[in-house]
Amino acid sequence: MQLKNVRKTFGLYVHALRGVDLDIHRGRVHGLLGANGAGKSTLIKILSGAYAATGGQVIWRGSEVRWSSPKQANDMGVATIHQHIPLVPTLSVIENVFLGQTGLWRVNAGMRQSFAALCDRVGYRLDPDALVSDLSIGARQMVAIFQALATGADLIVMDEPTASLASDEREIVYATVRKLSKVENKAILFVSHFLDEITALTDEVTVLRDGATVFRSPTRGLVEAQIAEAIVGKEVAAMEKATASRARHVGEPVLQVTGLSAPGLAPIDLTLNKGEVLGVAGLLGSGRSELLHAIYGADRFARGEVRLNGQLMRRSTGAAVAAGMALVPEDRFGQGLVPDFEIWRNMTLPALDRVSRFGLLDHKAEVARGEAAIKRLAIKAPDAQSIVSDLSGGNAQKVTIAKWLFSDVQLFLLDEPTAGIDIGAKTEILRLVRQLAEEGKSVIIVSSEFEELMAACDRIIVMRDGRKVAEKPAHDTNEHELLLLAGGKDSTSPHSSHDRAIGA
Amino acid sequence: MTQPKNPPRIDWKRAFGLREMGVYYALILLVVSLAFLTAYLGKANYLSVQNLTNVLYQTSLTAMMAAAMTVILVTGNFDLSVASVAALSAAVMVGTAESLGVAGAFGAAMGVAILCGLLNGSIVMFLGINAFIVTLGTLTAIRGLVLIYTDGRSLQVSGAEAVAQLKALEGATFDVGPVMLLAGLVMLAVAGVSLLREKRLVPMQIGMTLGGLALAALSWANEMVFVLRAPVVITAVFVGLVWFVLTFTTVGRRVYAVGGNPEAARLSGVNVTAYRLGAFVLCSATAGFAGILFGARLRSMTPTALSGMELTVIASAILGGTSLFGGAGSVIKTVAGALLLFSLTNGFNILNLGANYQGLIEGIVVVAAAAIYTVGNGKARSKTS
Repeated sequence: MQLKNVRKTFGLYVHALRGVDLDIHRGRVHGLLGANGAGKSTLIKILSGAYAATGGQVIWRGSEVRWSSPKQANDMGVATIHQHIPLVPTLSVIENVFLGQTGLWRVNAGMRQSFAALCDRVGYRLDPDALVSDLSIGARQMVAIFQALATGADLIVMDEPTASLASDEREIVYATVRKLSKVENKAILFVSHFLDEITALTDEVTVLRDGATVFRSPTRGLVEAQIAEAIVGKEVAAMEKATASRARHVGEPVLQVTGLSAPGLAPIDLTLNKGEVLGVAGLLGSGRSELLHAIYGADRFARGEVRLNGQLMRRSTGAAVAAGMALVPEDRFGQGLVPDFEIWRNMTLPALDRVSRFGLLDHKAEVARGEAAIKRLAIKAPDAQSIVSDLSGGNAQKVTIAKWLFSDVQLFLLDEPTAGIDIGAKTEILRLVRQLAEEGKSVIIVSSEFEELMAACDRIIVMRDGRKVAEKPAHDTNEHELLLLAGGKDSTSPHSSHDRAIGA
Repeated sequence: MTQPKNPPRIDWKRAFGLREMGVYYALILLVVSLAFLTAYLGKANYLSVQNLTNVLYQTSLTAMMAAAMTVILVTGNFDLSVASVAALSAAVMVGTAESLGVAGAFGAAMGVAILCGLLNGSIVMFLGINAFIVTLGTLTAIRGLVLIYTDGRSLQVSGAEAVAQLKALEGATFDVGPVMLLAGLVMLAVAGVSLLREKRLVPMQIGMTLGGLALAALSWANEMVFVLRAPVVITAVFVGLVWFVLTFTTVGRRVYAVGGNPEAARLSGVNVTAYRLGAFVLCSATAGFAGILFGARLRSMTPTALSGMELTVIASAILGGTSLFGGAGSVIKTVAGALLLFSLTNGFNILNLGANYQGLIEGIVVVAAAAIYTVGNGKARSKTS
């Protein structure tokens, strides 16, 4: 029994699949990789029935099928777990799991039985009556997996299931995936940006680039560098390592933080020098985003002092922007961009004074700025008139960063700038950070990928449970140590504070 | 400023599609069919200057309030209380015109309206209650204030001096024939210059050409005499001003950003609270001003006057394609929407069709417009968020 997906083309304007071959076998975990815009999402949508393929064949259990709706695909035994977990936050766990089922009662005894059976099969306990909005992101991911299993699917498509999870939560997902494929003989298509989990978890790998399959291989015997090379097409991956060794001269203090606290953040003191890159290592819920928002003045409930160049800052985002601070938030489309605006209108939003005279906007200057940003950061978009919600994740991220590059910003606060984007874009962003530091700007980067911090930062602080637990020069620490510090011995499950950003 | 090498592509299909231009098409279609119908049936000609100025006069107060409503909708809020605010302000105007003098009464009425806006805005912004619910409450409460103020009776201005001043305020007429001709020619010139500069056709030129031709022809055909009453002129100036601010200034850009994504706007340094509060105040102040004109027109005020007007105001904005979720909308299209609604009413009257059908037809038009906008929107975007 197998799904054999011979060739498909999907003719839309920009993102098209130009012939993708993919074989997924029962009892195997198949890894799917590709840079942003390579066509992964389109492929998943075809598999899940959200789009119809415009050419080629989808062969499922030996016969060709054409799905016209997700429901149809579901009935045939294909379940998809989407990246942004589409659960109903106001319903209970069990109601979400059996959402697609018909019947008179919201919850009946049969459902409870099958739910208990599901828990046993997966080996993970969830309270069936808890509200989904009260769960941590990891638990929500499990609800989504349960939902897929409840449909009795034989092929489960997982679109970056671990992208927003902390490491212990990831382990649970890995264990579940292994169990499903080995014990229950399900076929699993596992989409991810993390090379380590692909090599550890999958049996076969397919890499997409520019809408076509460029690499297919069994996972055994592959090294991460080979996959990385297939994804970006060049040896960009090596760059990241090369930047690590450097001794840097940094200037006088720019930012001084004393006794800054906020909900979810214990009082913290911090100093940042001119031209310095400070990394904040911490897991979800460690208070890292709260720290950035508090420094930026975006948190009304923050207390304590923030001084930029000796000047005490008012607690207002307007004052922060005027003084030369820039915040690139974690949730791109929720907090960083106006989704229905074109690239150029997003670009100029924080610095409208620079493209206007007496409050009158200079349209040409604005569009020119959009074009300049596209050129400078190699944003993949037809032109500055493109609507940002049409861009892929990595390119949208570049826009959120680029909008700060054209004003006199001295302090960049980057919250997970590389989350969920491919290696190529990641490397470019890290390189940009170094470049900004060379120009004498100061940068604070929050990341849960510690090797990135090692590559880009001069100094790293580690946060856990809302407080700073360590501070190290980047050349005097390593990934392993950071992980231990950030995870801590008493790793209480981190949640609640971030659920807001992802939920609903 | 360097010119980009590739001029931005133009999506003609989108620019002239139903979603972008639907309200104009509907208005033109309606006016043309009414003109033919009236001519065919031998009724008073729909396109006569008398009837056109009449429609404009009837539309003016609603159009003015709908323009301000568009601004508040663009910022992502909602105001149901406009008609009540207008009624309160009209009542204050009529009630105090003799004791305070017309200027004093004007100030008092505007002050009351602005206070209503501050109240609405403050409750929404600082207590975080949904604007729909808050203004549903103030809709009733402010109407209650009108009843208390008037003690449930009609108010009237009887002093000769005050009556004369009110007449002068509302009844003034302006001959805009020459101005229209001039404006038409300027629009044609703008289109021509733009064509020479861009060296290709862009949608704006076509709009400018058609609009300019219409204005110039209308003025020319009537021997450059086109007499408009004060409320129409005031509305035109006000709408023009709002359109200019929204389209060309940093303030306008921030208004759209606040509605498009308040969090992104806030983190980009925009004072979201101030902009949203400002929109509430603008909306109520405009309603107050419309109420003053209304009071000056009748020089009397019944406690139930202007009831239900908020629905026409909001319907105009929706006909104009304003999004109820914020971030999108155009005041010019909103005015076209208001003109559409009042042309319908006017057409019904001229053609002597039963007034009973009017509500049904208007309702269908609004829902059909919303359907076109929603369906058009769904096709333009991918299915994912």
